[in-house]
Amino acid sequence: MSPALLCTAIASLVIAFTPHCVNAKSYIEPPTLAADVAAGKLPPVGQRLPETPYIRPMNLANQSIGRHGGAMKMFMARPKDIRLMVVYGYARLAGYNRDLDIVPDILRDLEIEDGRKFTLHLRPGHKWSDGVPFTTEDFRYYWEDVANHDMLSPTGPPAALRVDGKPPAVTIIDDVTIRFEWDNPNPAFLPALAGARPLYVYRPAHYLRKYHARYKDTAKLNAKAKKKGQRNWAALHNKLDHQYKNKNIRLPSLQPWVNTTKGPSEQYVFKRNPYYHKVDPDGRQLPYIDQVVFGIASSNIIPAKVGTGQADLQARYLRFDNFTFLKRNEKKSGFNTRLWRTGKGAHMALFPNLNTNDPVWRKLLRDVRFRRAISLAVNRHELNRVIYFGLALEAQNTVLPGSPLFRDKYQKSWAKYDIAEANRQLDSIGLEKRDDRGIRLLPDGRPLDIIVESTGESTEEADVLELIQDSWALIGAKLHTKPTQREVMRNRIYAGETVMSISSGLENGLPTADMDPEDLAPTSQVQYQWPKWGQRHETMGNMGEAIDMPEPKRLKVLHKKWLRATSTDARRTIWHEMLKIHADQVYSIGLISGVLQPIVVRNTLKNVPVKAIYTWLPCAQFGMYEPDSFWFTDTSPPKKQATYR
Amino acid sequence: MLEYLARRVLVMIPTLLVISALVFIIIQLPPGDYFTTYMNELQSRGESIDKAKIEFIKKQYGFDKSMLEQYFAWVVGMLHGDFGYSFEYSQPVSDVVGDRLLLSFIISFTTIIFTWVVAFPIGVYSAVRQYSLGDYSLTFLGFLGLATPNFLLALVLQWLAFSTFGTSIGGLMDPQYIAAGWSLDKMLSILEHLWVPVLVIGTSGTAGMIRRLRANLLDELNKQYYVTAKAKGLPPGRALVKYPLRMALNPFIADIGNLLPEIISGAAIVSIVLSLPTTGPMLLNALQSQDMYLAGSFLMCLATLTVIGTLLSDLALAALDPRIRLSGGASR
Repeated sequence: MSPALLCTAIASLVIAFTPHCVNAKSYIEPPTLAADVAAGKLPPVGQRLPETPYIRPMNLANQSIGRHGGAMKMFMARPKDIRLMVVYGYARLAGYNRDLDIVPDILRDLEIEDGRKFTLHLRPGHKWSDGVPFTTEDFRYYWEDVANHDMLSPTGPPAALRVDGKPPAVTIIDDVTIRFEWDNPNPAFLPALAGARPLYVYRPAHYLRKYHARYKDTAKLNAKAKKKGQRNWAALHNKLDHQYKNKNIRLPSLQPWVNTTKGPSEQYVFKRNPYYHKVDPDGRQLPYIDQVVFGIASSNIIPAKVGTGQADLQARYLRFDNFTFLKRNEKKSGFNTRLWRTGKGAHMALFPNLNTNDPVWRKLLRDVRFRRAISLAVNRHELNRVIYFGLALEAQNTVLPGSPLFRDKYQKSWAKYDIAEANRQLDSIGLEKRDDRGIRLLPDGRPLDIIVESTGESTEEADVLELIQDSWALIGAKLHTKPTQREVMRNRIYAGETVMSISSGLENGLPTADMDPEDLAPTSQVQYQWPKWGQRHETMGNMGEAIDMPEPKRLKVLHKKWLRATSTDARRTIWHEMLKIHADQVYSIGLISGVLQPIVVRNTLKNVPVKAIYTWLPCAQFGMYEPDSFWFTDTSPPKKQATYR
Repeated sequence: MLEYLARRVLVMIPTLLVISALVFIIIQLPPGDYFTTYMNELQSRGESIDKAKIEFIKKQYGFDKSMLEQYFAWVVGMLHGDFGYSFEYSQPVSDVVGDRLLLSFIISFTTIIFTWVVAFPIGVYSAVRQYSLGDYSLTFLGFLGLATPNFLLALVLQWLAFSTFGTSIGGLMDPQYIAAGWSLDKMLSILEHLWVPVLVIGTSGTAGMIRRLRANLLDELNKQYYVTAKAKGLPPGRALVKYPLRMALNPFIADIGNLLPEIISGAAIVSIVLSLPTTGPMLLNALQSQDMYLAGSFLMCLATLTVIGTLLSDLALAALDPRIRLSGGASR
């Protein structure tokens, strides 16, 4: 090959690669930081980024490369909601991408062996928001000085770091490599790191060391703590060390925006992290938007504020019934309203309490024919039409269509409105006798009065129950609604005093096979259909009751098997078996799901998906949709709104 | 007089102690505590938190001690000016309340002035011109203000202010001034927002004030000394101001006792509807989330102000109303 040809070949290679590997020279400084860089207060962008920054490909449909600048205004109801900035910022060691796979984010790379040996590779040159290097020392500090310190964490390392109660072996290989190793697989580890409320296995050691008794004089630290109204140094350390709560403005961060407002305040300002580790394909350091502003307003007034164009992006505290109001104000206020599906297994579901104290009811609720009958007697289509404009999904409490585990038959199982079949099922149980009102009689002669307890927080639940009341009357069952306070209701359910309750369904409606199916097995007291079995699991067998029905036993066994499974295929098989049992046994009666969440987006704000799923897990609400890549076409400060008549 | 004052002040001590005990017990009455409420709220939004961790935090904040110990720690702390710790804000209570007090004070003070300025002339007019057209129509207006639900009026006015003047909805100033220091523009922005809550809270108070003044004045207007004064040729205006009006001022002064606590708790509902950064909504939130020291300190503050207010108005009445005597003793 002639030298000239070789040159051309290399040149073309270089050209071919430029979009993917941006060299240090071509990083673009955010204009707001340029002055600080010129004044020498900040190093230039090339030195602030890690050696290999995370390059956002920005190649999804409707995604475009943007420009720096602007402030994004959102509203929150309470000062403690500032923790949501950590959720929306969504910088995680490893996080979910849009296909719901967990991929490295802060980490450069992640190696997994047999699901039990995790080697984390950090990005060399990665820095905290104050410019101090982020290294494995930060992990060591967490592991040795926080998680295993008897005053800071008296209960030891968190549950996600323990397999069968045993903590991992943590090995620091070098400055940027660390290994967590368990004897058995730990499928909970990565989802915990990727969570909306993540598990932090690292701490800004250089900052927190100043407050740790291992490194400073205990007496002095205690005196300092007393002055700040804390009991001792450990309490002060724990207060300062809360990356999720986001209250300590001096705590260094790895998030795209860091809090700069010390509460209490009516407004919290989050400024860009000059050391954030992501760039766009052109080399612009992300985030595009310079600052995010959370205004604090009472939750009832937020829809009105949003409707008058005061927010740039808002979903929280907007309800579906605000939709028409928002839509009407779109043009005047310069935003558009999108509807994202919510991602809970069911927006609302009825939970028959299989642990109820009343023996007659317990026997009846445990009869699958009864559960199927009352499910068949719910007119989901009517609910959808009357309350949700026909836009929701008429489905059981199971996974949603966006999940790879979704099957139509799970969703439709015993969900068709069929009064005749429901009546047949009830007759076959032996509830043929009726009183003069046409209400069926229980075996001991009491009428079939089903009391459904609700939290009474929303009128929506009451509306839904009222509609169900009508159709249940046709099968000879009388529904009574009993609104109580949430705590009271929970305690009644836990104690077995409740027969049935209404609440939302599966927390994560979009699971993949690699996510923990704990919601499907009796693992927690908060599962309203079997609180006592769940409590048994939570308290390691000290309290609650042992499972005494075959299918829930099987669910528990399957969940254990899932925790031990090493391959995704094996996990998928287990998921499907569990979902099938639920679909067949109707442990919860899903009423409606996929209810829509209005999302208000300023017209000038780009890269916000038009259609998406809005949910806490796994999407972290906005987090999964990469808010650091949102940008404004017009970054001039907002003028006072024009009046209009 | 001094002896009376000393006795009243001494009586205040056991009163406040009893109130503090009641407040503490009542706040603890609902099931659960701040942390269970907090946990439930997190769970209802899909977040979860380690139970063991909650137990640990509870211990750190002294929840493992008995109720009695917690109560004494709180009362003793308050005597030192330490009002305890707000869990919701994870800050000492005094830091949390700080700047909200000023805004609450501004609103309440303006409202009181507004109420007096409106109620006083109307009250006098409608008493002097009893059963006239003016009396009827003004009274009607007053009652209308009393009868309209505050929160409804607040919503309507707020929307009107937005759609006609472009005033931003909610809050007490335009968003850009929230973090800014005090400046003329900020004051103007506050004034622009202030009239809605003042009007709303004011209208409800005005009617009551008008009626009381009117009734008191009517009593006096029929008395002989006033008739005599007029018969002797005193100009009607002077006669009115000099004697019966002074008598009729009684309710205004007696009201001081109620005004003081209102400065803090004033019109919580309106403040919530309008999303005002005042102390009212904060008190409600604290009660809802069982943030016990924040709520408790608020309630104690209200109680103290009520007690002091009552004392002040009693003293003022004694000084201003010649019919009240301290040295009279029991009449039987």
